[in-house]
Amino acid sequence: MKSRFRILPWLGLAMVMLLGAQAGHAVESGDATAAPTIAIDKTELKNGGTIKVSGQAEPGKAVYLEVWSEDHDVRASRFDSEKDKETGKRPYIFYLSGEMPAYYKIFVQKDLQPTIDEAKKAGNKWSYSALLKDLGADVAYSVPPRIKIDHFQSTLMASIVGSRGKQLPAMDEKETKKRSMQLVKARFRSIDKVFGAVIDVQPDGSYTADVNIRSGLAPGKYNIVAVVDNQAKSEPAVFDNKISFPTVYMGNAGTSMNLIYPFVLTLVVAIFGVLMGAGGGFILNPLLVTLFPALPHTIVAGTVTPTVLFSQGSGILNYSKIKFINWKLGASIGCAMLLGGFIGPKLTEMITLAQFKFAFGWILIVLAALMFWQTTPGYLAKNKKEQAILKEFKKRAEEATKGK
Amino acid sequence: MKVEFWGQEFKVNMVVGCIGGFLIAIMSSMFGFGGGPFMVPLMTVALRLPMYLVVGSSLLAIFFNTSISTMRHYQFGNFDLIFFLAMFPAALLGGYIGPQIAKRVSPLVVKRVACVGLLLLALNLLGIY
Repeated sequence: MKSRFRILPWLGLAMVMLLGAQAGHAVESGDATAAPTIAIDKTELKNGGTIKVSGQAEPGKAVYLEVWSEDHDVRASRFDSEKDKETGKRPYIFYLSGEMPAYYKIFVQKDLQPTIDEAKKAGNKWSYSALLKDLGADVAYSVPPRIKIDHFQSTLMASIVGSRGKQLPAMDEKETKKRSMQLVKARFRSIDKVFGAVIDVQPDGSYTADVNIRSGLAPGKYNIVAVVDNQAKSEPAVFDNKISFPTVYMGNAGTSMNLIYPFVLTLVVAIFGVLMGAGGGFILNPLLVTLFPALPHTIVAGTVTPTVLFSQGSGILNYSKIKFINWKLGASIGCAMLLGGFIGPKLTEMITLAQFKFAFGWILIVLAALMFWQTTPGYLAKNKKEQAILKEFKKRAEEATKGK
Repeated sequence: MKVEFWGQEFKVNMVVGCIGGFLIAIMSSMFGFGGGPFMVPLMTVALRLPMYLVVGSSLLAIFFNTSISTMRHYQFGNFDLIFFLAMFPAALLGGYIGPQIAKRVSPLVVKRVACVGLLLLALNLLGIY
């Protein structure tokens, strides 16, 4: 008696499920959602602008627009050192792809703005995959899952010798999709860069949207696809983003930029660097990272370094002419620095922009303290003597060179 | 280690020098700067070497670091040629104009301005303002 009483609700539940499955089946086998149409008001932009997108979708369905740049890919990487929730182990796996579109964004309906705002409250810890799901936009997520992602097992030892570690076998489709979402976040960082709520949908299923393409993006062809669900997708509408000199696209950085800005900035910083007796890299790097958020910090560090290289080289040349370098001392410490310089760039790749800024902030505070110390009276008195000796020796060295 | 420079002999504690140099090298190559402002105090204060020995030799040491880190950054694909071409001439020009202005301004004032500027920049990076 008792057992029968228990079975009844289960039977009921099973029946409901069966009915539900049948109903679901009916929808699938019945007329599939019609593919939405898409039309754009212009096919050419000059370094960004607004494109009016309109079209017709099935009434009552949510519409998404997936927009990506066709011609240019960028590199995205992520170092996974977060503790696994189940095993408690840190995976230390490095994910790398060179095929991320230089621009990738999904536009959603205007009424989803609150969902986006909610996700922004998480600060830097927002999750691309969760937001994608919350917005229902995962149906539109089709381009990044197709990129090729390499992943490497990093070890402490491999990091020390500066290698990426052992390459692991290729991932399956599902895993690639999951990791591609993390790479999208790693590459584009902020929510506003990957999601926008701009679409207006009327009850009859017609939709309009003002898609704003910001300036400073990759040139070339862009695709827009209207999506209703996995199967119902429009043909891509194509537009061309044109840029002209002095705005130039930087392939590795994945952004176009007016070259005059970095030129002027570097000029000012270099002059100031000479005045304060420190290489310009200290100021140039953080300024570039703050003023041009589109530039990845790895590119900034990797490109400023060779810039400093030449001023150092010319300095060495000048000093060596008057035999003012102790080669033994310089080279000995130089060897130790060689090791450090081998490891450093590897670490740049592994940290996020936030960590980069944080560490750099502290470095600058230390540097400021050093600068301050150099303006204290005690140091100045000592420095005066030192400078006098320095001048004296330099003079002697110069004369010795001339005498020859 | 003993080094001779212009007729004078100096004793250098290479252990401190190398460890310090190593750490400064990691940091500076990671964040993409030269490292001079850290190297000079290391050599004058920690190694007790006179300024006239340090100016040239520290430059040589950081040159080692900068060249290898340039190579490594390039290897990792973190180097952008066009971006470099935009900055490089400016850096050269700055290196040329800088010394002309340097004669006319007090280094003390420059350092004080730099000090405040660096602090502001640091606070900005740390997200305090």
